[in-house]
Amino acid sequence: MEKINLNHITKIEGHARLSMKVEDGQLQQCELGSIEGSRYFEGLLKGRRWYDAPEITSRICGICSTAHGICSVMAMEKALDIEPSKQTLILRELQNLGERFRSHATHLYFLALPDYLGYESALSMAPRYKKEIERALRLVKLGNDLTEAISGRVMHQVATTIGGFTHFPTQDQLDTFKELLIAAEDDIQETARLFASLPNPHFEREVPSFSVVRDDSYAFCYGDIKIGEKVFKQENYADILKEYHESYSNANFVVIDGKDYYVGALARVNNNYDKLHPKAKAFLEAIKFKVPCFNPYLNNLAQAVELIHHRESAIELLNDFKVQHEELVKPDVKAGKGIAANEAPRGTLWHEYEIDDNGIITHANIVTPTAQALLNMEKDIKVMTQKLLDEKAPKDDIVMEIEKLIRNYDPCFSCATHFLEVDWDEK
Amino acid sequence: MAGKEKPENGKLKVGFYNVTGCAGCLLSVIYTEGDFLEFSQQVDIVSFPFIKEKNDDEQELDVAFIEGVVVTKADEETVKKIRERSKMVVALGACAHLGNIPALAKMKKSEDLEYLKYKKEDFNMDREGGPAPLHTLIKIDYTLPGCPPDRDEIRQFMKYLLLGKTFRNYNDPVCVECKLRNNGCLLDQGKICLGPIIAGGCKAVCPSGGLKCYGCRGFVQGIDKEFDGYFRIMEDKGFSLDDVKRALETFMAIDAHKVLDEKFAQYQLNRKAREESYE
Repeated sequence: MEKINLNHITKIEGHARLSMKVEDGQLQQCELGSIEGSRYFEGLLKGRRWYDAPEITSRICGICSTAHGICSVMAMEKALDIEPSKQTLILRELQNLGERFRSHATHLYFLALPDYLGYESALSMAPRYKKEIERALRLVKLGNDLTEAISGRVMHQVATTIGGFTHFPTQDQLDTFKELLIAAEDDIQETARLFASLPNPHFEREVPSFSVVRDDSYAFCYGDIKIGEKVFKQENYADILKEYHESYSNANFVVIDGKDYYVGALARVNNNYDKLHPKAKAFLEAIKFKVPCFNPYLNNLAQAVELIHHRESAIELLNDFKVQHEELVKPDVKAGKGIAANEAPRGTLWHEYEIDDNGIITHANIVTPTAQALLNMEKDIKVMTQKLLDEKAPKDDIVMEIEKLIRNYDPCFSCATHFLEVDWDEK
Repeated sequence: MAGKEKPENGKLKVGFYNVTGCAGCLLSVIYTEGDFLEFSQQVDIVSFPFIKEKNDDEQELDVAFIEGVVVTKADEETVKKIRERSKMVVALGACAHLGNIPALAKMKKSEDLEYLKYKKEDFNMDREGGPAPLHTLIKIDYTLPGCPPDRDEIRQFMKYLLLGKTFRNYNDPVCVECKLRNNGCLLDQGKICLGPIIAGGCKAVCPSGGLKCYGCRGFVQGIDKEFDGYFRIMEDKGFSLDDVKRALETFMAIDAHKVLDEKFAQYQLNRKAREESYE
């Protein structure tokens, strides 16, 4: 058996390994797993006070710290029977939007785009594609500044807490953001045009799309969950999502009815197409984009379309919003259980807590988007690799294509050492 | 001395790495926005696997930035190899500096950590001895503290590297910047804020946002008297040593109990001596 090891495939969030074995042109084995060091967050939460959860769990991830922070706050509020105010919900949505802007911009331009333009990194692209890099940095800055103004810090929120906010942006700050968002239209349209112009393989594998949905908006959180045509309540997630472990991965796999499903921007666009802003819809119609779309390479385009939508929805939110000081809603601490879902930039995130009468956390469960995407990714890699093997593509090309495919999911292998090792065994 | 290693000809060779962590520190470097791009053009970025496909893991480095806490056997090997080939190693962020939240695992029983949920016997990558901050395994030349590290401090460090200036960490308590920002004291509101004993340089971002200081930047160096005063205030407010420990262990599980026990014993001796002197 010929053994080929390809190391240091890069530009994803997290530390993952892909092992493939090929015999007589047939892919015999394909295992994708996280080899990230375990940080045992769920175990660390046990024995801590209810109010520690958001500060601790936002550290799960630097790129989606807001998604974790807000999801944690919402789950704990449900455990404590706290009803957040209307203003709190708006501020949380703005904070989620800020993170989505900078996360999508970072992924699209720094991690994904170099593959398409034939560069090893955005840094080496910079001399020739200065305009694109500067545009990316402007979008990142917009997202960073918005996140910082609402949550008190660029990452790992400070002011966003259980029961509301401990600090508020000024009305001037919010008015300035409205202006900045209005001014960002060209950058965002250019981004969408750029990603619509990039060539992608014709590759489809039909799996159900999974996301939070609402009747009244393109949902972040506070809604039901839609998978394919089925809709269920967040509270019932443990009956629907099944976690299991494979010996080659430090991240769990998650299935529904024993099957894989799709999370992330493309899944959200598929499930919420009707709720997209007319400008985002018009863009998709102009490029003859059909939903549901099952080509994972188009997740990038879906992220760009979300930028169009979210810019509009953020402006609408800010249009008649007047921020005022509000006291935190204080809980009546007692035993309880809370479950919440939040759409992180890369898919649906779950936090679940149980606390006792003293407010001590007795159980925590966190299911990340990448754990839910893992099996889907692995299956797509299998199909894509076999397709390329059948076409007699050279090994280097196959590896490059598979890396690109993996990056397009925008995975986050618990966000640490950032390279994917590919073990390739060929007979 | 930052910059001493700058070669006479050519650019500084720089690497950005991470072991187990959240990528937030490397993102904080990128989130300096245009400044990192500018820096990347003034130096030779030899390795940055998070955003680069081509990384040279053999070449000698002038400066290596490492994010994260050493959790796996592979992490340990990685940081030791980086140390061997680097003239300067910078611990980037609270995991690298202090062990941060992952180090809390050292204080937990293994069944609490749900080993069984994740682990099978054939797949345990964890190093023996549990999560370790970098300084316990390799020599560290500089530290950019904080969770996340302050972006302006990263900017300043990059600038000093290019200029060959010596970087020094901020070593006043968080309270100094907190007062400069005209914040009310959280201790007065009955919150166990760690500001008086923790090094600032963060612009007191947490207390300014209404959150008590959790101690993510480590102790102020050489401040025994402040500990004394701190324990006195905490006792006045009705907090116990255990309350302080619980607050401090979030980011400093490795040192929290040992240091606090020592300082508290000293405080009790001092108090006794003080009381006796009044008699």
